[in-house]
Amino acid sequence: MKILVCISNVPDTTAKISFTDNDTKFNKTGVQFIIGPYDDYALARAVELKEQHGGTVTVLNVGESESDPQLRKALAIGADDAIRVNTEPTDSYFVAAQIAHIASQNSYDLILMGRESIDFNSGVVHGLVGEMLGIASYSPVMKLDITGNEAKFAREIDGGKEHLSAALPLVLGCQEPIAEWKIPNMRGIMTARTKSLAVVEPVSVDDSTVLEKYALPAPKGSCRMIPAEEAEQLIALLKTEAKVL
Amino acid sequence: MATYFSRRNLDFLLYEVFHATELTKYPYFEAHDRETFDMVLDSATHIADTLMYPYYRDVDRNQPELKAGKVTVHPKIKEFLTAVGDAGLIGASFPFEQGGQQLPELIGSCMGFIKMAANNGMMYIGLTSGAANLITTFGSENLISTYVPHLLSGKWQGTMALTEPQAGSSLSDITTSAEPLENGSYLIKGQKVFISAGDHDAVDNVVHLMLARIKGAPKGTKGISLFVVPKSRLTDDGTFVDNDVASTGIYHKLGQRGTPAMHLTMGEEDNCYGWLVGEPNRGLNYMFQMMNEARIGVGMTGAAIASAAYYASLEYAKERPQSRRLNEKNLLDSPQTMIINHPDVKRMLLFQKAVVEGSLSLLMECARLSDLVHVTEGEEKENYELLLDLLTPVAKTFPTEMGVRAVSEGLQVLGGYGFTEDFPLEQMYRDIRITPIYEGTTGIQSQDLLGRKMTIKNGKAPRLLFAEIAKTLEEAQTYDELKPYAERLRKETGRIQEVTASLLPFAMQGNIERFLMDATLYMEMFGIVTVAWQWLKQGIAAKKAQLTLGDTEDAFYESKLHTMKFYFHYEVPKTKGLATRLLDTEVLTLETGKEVIL
Repeated sequence: MKILVCISNVPDTTAKISFTDNDTKFNKTGVQFIIGPYDDYALARAVELKEQHGGTVTVLNVGESESDPQLRKALAIGADDAIRVNTEPTDSYFVAAQIAHIASQNSYDLILMGRESIDFNSGVVHGLVGEMLGIASYSPVMKLDITGNEAKFAREIDGGKEHLSAALPLVLGCQEPIAEWKIPNMRGIMTARTKSLAVVEPVSVDDSTVLEKYALPAPKGSCRMIPAEEAEQLIALLKTEAKVL
Repeated sequence: MATYFSRRNLDFLLYEVFHATELTKYPYFEAHDRETFDMVLDSATHIADTLMYPYYRDVDRNQPELKAGKVTVHPKIKEFLTAVGDAGLIGASFPFEQGGQQLPELIGSCMGFIKMAANNGMMYIGLTSGAANLITTFGSENLISTYVPHLLSGKWQGTMALTEPQAGSSLSDITTSAEPLENGSYLIKGQKVFISAGDHDAVDNVVHLMLARIKGAPKGTKGISLFVVPKSRLTDDGTFVDNDVASTGIYHKLGQRGTPAMHLTMGEEDNCYGWLVGEPNRGLNYMFQMMNEARIGVGMTGAAIASAAYYASLEYAKERPQSRRLNEKNLLDSPQTMIINHPDVKRMLLFQKAVVEGSLSLLMECARLSDLVHVTEGEEKENYELLLDLLTPVAKTFPTEMGVRAVSEGLQVLGGYGFTEDFPLEQMYRDIRITPIYEGTTGIQSQDLLGRKMTIKNGKAPRLLFAEIAKTLEEAQTYDELKPYAERLRKETGRIQEVTASLLPFAMQGNIERFLMDATLYMEMFGIVTVAWQWLKQGIAAKKAQLTLGDTEDAFYESKLHTMKFYFHYEVPKTKGLATRLLDTEVLTLETGKEVIL
């Protein structure tokens, strides 16, 4: 079985976000980057499936060289080889087109990725990739098993989850608890250096998004605790201070 | 994610101050690069985040228990040991041929820092890797193949079994005996106390690296040998049997309660076997290899606990409103300000930060020296060894003694809440208190510094240190903002030399008590100056980064420079008082009879 896992290179969840150049560029100084947490679940399940069924796991990132440490980490976790499409990931459509181009050149049985990245959170790349390749896509997938040429999986829906089955190939957007995150062990870390990391140039895509400006959300106000027995005070504050009543 | 240490600071020290990747130019470390270093630290952080930090309070509240000779520890300990064993982190610094990955100690020490900051109550693996290291360095092939793979897997526990009821700091007085047998093993008999992780149910076996006297050996330290004494021993038919190492007591400690401290009795049934490591009567020399590493490890634990305390009190100070600014006391209708805005709270926080980051820098300096000793030869190697020997007692003492004070200030930031179990500071305060005692008390370390390290090879070690400091001073002089601090440090090294010169004649006269009577104060002064050197190195790296970044603001570097200045203005001046005492001819402690101390 050939599995392609697409990973994003995103700021650590605790990173302080700021912008430069009149709020048109993300300030990366001092920011630690990580594999997108949902992508990390997809990678962990892919490695488990490879251990069960054999085959290969290729990890793919659309990004510049700063993504290489995350690709190496994915190789240390258990991916067999890596591909980086050498370009700035400008929007979801652009990224999906790059993934679809790579996938179209290699017949993967499964294309796994996180249900969304945690920087721009668009959550549409898996659907776009499926559309571009003409194969089915599902998200958010919480459980995944493979039997022969069939995938059995569960995905979250409003009020519960649904259990589905579909023939391979598939594009799946993944989330917990599909697998537990894996940490690279020392042996994996050392062997990752000898695995292939291919850098390829992007295909051209028309009509990319033009970014005008970034802005941070308004800071959250401080929390004040009002004892339950003083509900009148709470109402008064909602009227006079918060002015929401 | 981690709130008990700063990865940014660790990366700054690793790559901007100590240039960790330069080590990979040596053939021994050439299999590594920055990516492997970062991944190792990521893995350590993940384990610390998921299996250590969440259980910090829990392992303290659910202490190990000794019942019917069995020691039960918190169930998460086994999960943790399995995880670090599976990740290959216990023996990561070991050579390839011994199952390791030849990771530089500089990175290994950072892993230790992360783990101890997350949960210092789980102090198991440092002991295990130390024991495995001793066996691989001095033991026979048979001992290595029998014990080391199990130890590095996390399935067996290693310990240091030195202390006896009558022999703590004075190891020359140990009495545990070893009687040679015809099959090459020894019959062991005696007692050991305060053996950390000396027995527990999270592992399948416990392997003690134990000091004992072979029957007929000379008295004193020259008659001490080192043995492997397992809890369960391997028989000729490949099965394990009980080795007559009985857990006869468990200590109920002030802190670090997640790890049992055991009283062990060997050979009550004349059925305890041990195997000699290396040559007879050289045990203390061998053990000192482990102890020097352990001393730096204890220093790292001090810095790590102080780090966790700093970030806990910083978070509180940012969120706790109390009172108004001192210049706005009469504005009672205005909202209370956060306590981080009060100058005295800022002072306490900056003190903590200065101690944590200065200590960590000194400890990483030692780890780097350890790596350089490993990969160099001849005079260069000897020089690195001398520097490491000199700095080891300082790197054990400053982070632990000042760490206790730093955690105390952290607790103070929380006021009354800091004294309650609702916040972790009370536990951190209890936990860190052992560190100035472990592996040679502050008094022992101070005597080692002044009595041995300052004088060996006619004072070559301090000359090497001052030469290193001089290089830092020269570089600092190229930045206008750092010039005053370089000048200050230059004067401080002169102060150390002046005090040392005043004390050395007592040693030459053979008046050792007079020479060493205030060694602890000498250590305090020496430590302050050594860490000032480390802060100036950090200041240089921060200035370089600021010049590279140009107009791009980065509060991290500004904070570094600010803390460096704080250290020089608030801590370094204390050397003057210490030097005054050390140069004083009044010898009150020497002449004081015990009847005067009522």
